[in-house]
Amino acid sequence: MGEALFLMVVGMVMVFIILLLVVVLGNVIIRFVNRFVPEEEVKAKTNQVAPTIDPKIYAAICSAVSTVTAGKGSVVEVKKI
Amino acid sequence: MFEDLLSKLYEMTAIGDFVETPGYLLMLLIAFALLYLGIVKKYEPLLLIPIGFGVLLANFPGADLGVVPGSAIELGEDADGRMQYMNLFEIAHEYGIFNFLYYALIKTGLLPPLIFLGVGAMTDFGPMLRNLKLALFGGAAQFGIFTVLLIAMASGAFSIKEAASLAIIGGADGPTAIYTTIKLAPDLLGPIAIAAYSYMALVPVIIPLVVKLLCSEKELKINMRQQDKLFPPKHQIKNLRAVKIIFPIVLGTVVIILVPSAGPLLGMLLLGNLLKEIGTDTQRLTTAATDYIMNPATIILGLCVGATMTADVFLDIKTIGIIVGGFFAFALSVASGICLVKLFNLFAKKKINPLCGATGLSAVPMASRVANEISTKYDSQNHVLQYCMSSNVSGVIGSAVAAGVLITFLA
Repeated sequence: MGEALFLMVVGMVMVFIILLLVVVLGNVIIRFVNRFVPEEEVKAKTNQVAPTIDPKIYAAICSAVSTVTAGKGSVVEVKKI
Repeated sequence: MFEDLLSKLYEMTAIGDFVETPGYLLMLLIAFALLYLGIVKKYEPLLLIPIGFGVLLANFPGADLGVVPGSAIELGEDADGRMQYMNLFEIAHEYGIFNFLYYALIKTGLLPPLIFLGVGAMTDFGPMLRNLKLALFGGAAQFGIFTVLLIAMASGAFSIKEAASLAIIGGADGPTAIYTTIKLAPDLLGPIAIAAYSYMALVPVIIPLVVKLLCSEKELKINMRQQDKLFPPKHQIKNLRAVKIIFPIVLGTVVIILVPSAGPLLGMLLLGNLLKEIGTDTQRLTTAATDYIMNPATIILGLCVGATMTADVFLDIKTIGIIVGGFFAFALSVASGICLVKLFNLFAKKKINPLCGATGLSAVPMASRVANEISTKYDSQNHVLQYCMSSNVSGVIGSAVAAGVLITFLA
């Protein structure tokens, strides 16, 4: 029983120390990145999509392309084949 | 003559074994029930179906598909007093392929970390990084683990290692529960895995039940977005992708220095997450982690865990203790998270919806989805999903750390 109580105290203290570290480290990393790598490279928008395309469909296509290419790809043109 | 023939037919089939040991029949019914829950009720089908089928196969008398206890592969102590075991070829030859898979992949503790690799590759730390303070509430939820450890020890029915394996069910994390049980009480692997995954499937029932008992309507209506507007965070993240890439590297380094025994689980979780966040450069590895590694690992893990549940092992008073204790561990984890939020709200200006505490147990992302359903029931505009995901994801880290502490002191 004493061992279980000891484990409870040590376990809970350890869990909170680690999660406190998660909070502290997270904040440190955010500050570091904000200071030294504040912006991702923004790709020049070279695309002008025909006005006939529904903006919602265009947004969905852009989102799908961004997901599949992990943000590296961009939509240049959308046209029916 | 005819009687002889009938007698030989009777001996050839397993009918006689079912008559002599009705426990086999009961185990087959349990297997059917698990398959029903997985297929029809869709309770954690990815796990319950392989586990249910493993139970089914393990309990055909004479088929010898059940996993034998560790004592069956012991060869005795050598001159230095160290226990000697059969090698894998001998195990496969003597006890069949299920025992080969179990002792090669499960008993060695290989599959749970491989599953964590896939889990990491499917986990998004973004919501937690945007709401870092909420991550602390994921710690409170681990209180259920240690409370049930105390209760199980007080009951006298379990040894400390068995009690710890039972208690880890409260972490609501299947691979963590399995990994801890393999290390501490492998004989209880079957019932503990079943209890862990069953209660994870019952998260949509357990969380609303505990929330109803502990939270007022006013508390559940706390709108986190409004609170954010009233008390905006000090730092906005300017480059989330860079933060998400650096975070698992730094966190892994620090946490594994402090709790090395949590390394296999947390290390693989963070590696999986890093691969995902890097993006296209490691896309093939991410796909391997989430599909080609995690899926076969899940099948083999489920099947072998099910195969450990033979009638003589499962039909034991301890199984009932595990089922009851597991429920309390789960409910107490939810309740502890809620209570810490309530305590926090007594002193803080920026109020937090107690549902963010209820999701401190792992079960990602189901717990957060359930919490969001509850909050929108009281206020259709009050979406707490992103906030709950913070404590939900930190709960995965918390339960891995709790498991690491238990393994360090007890293994």
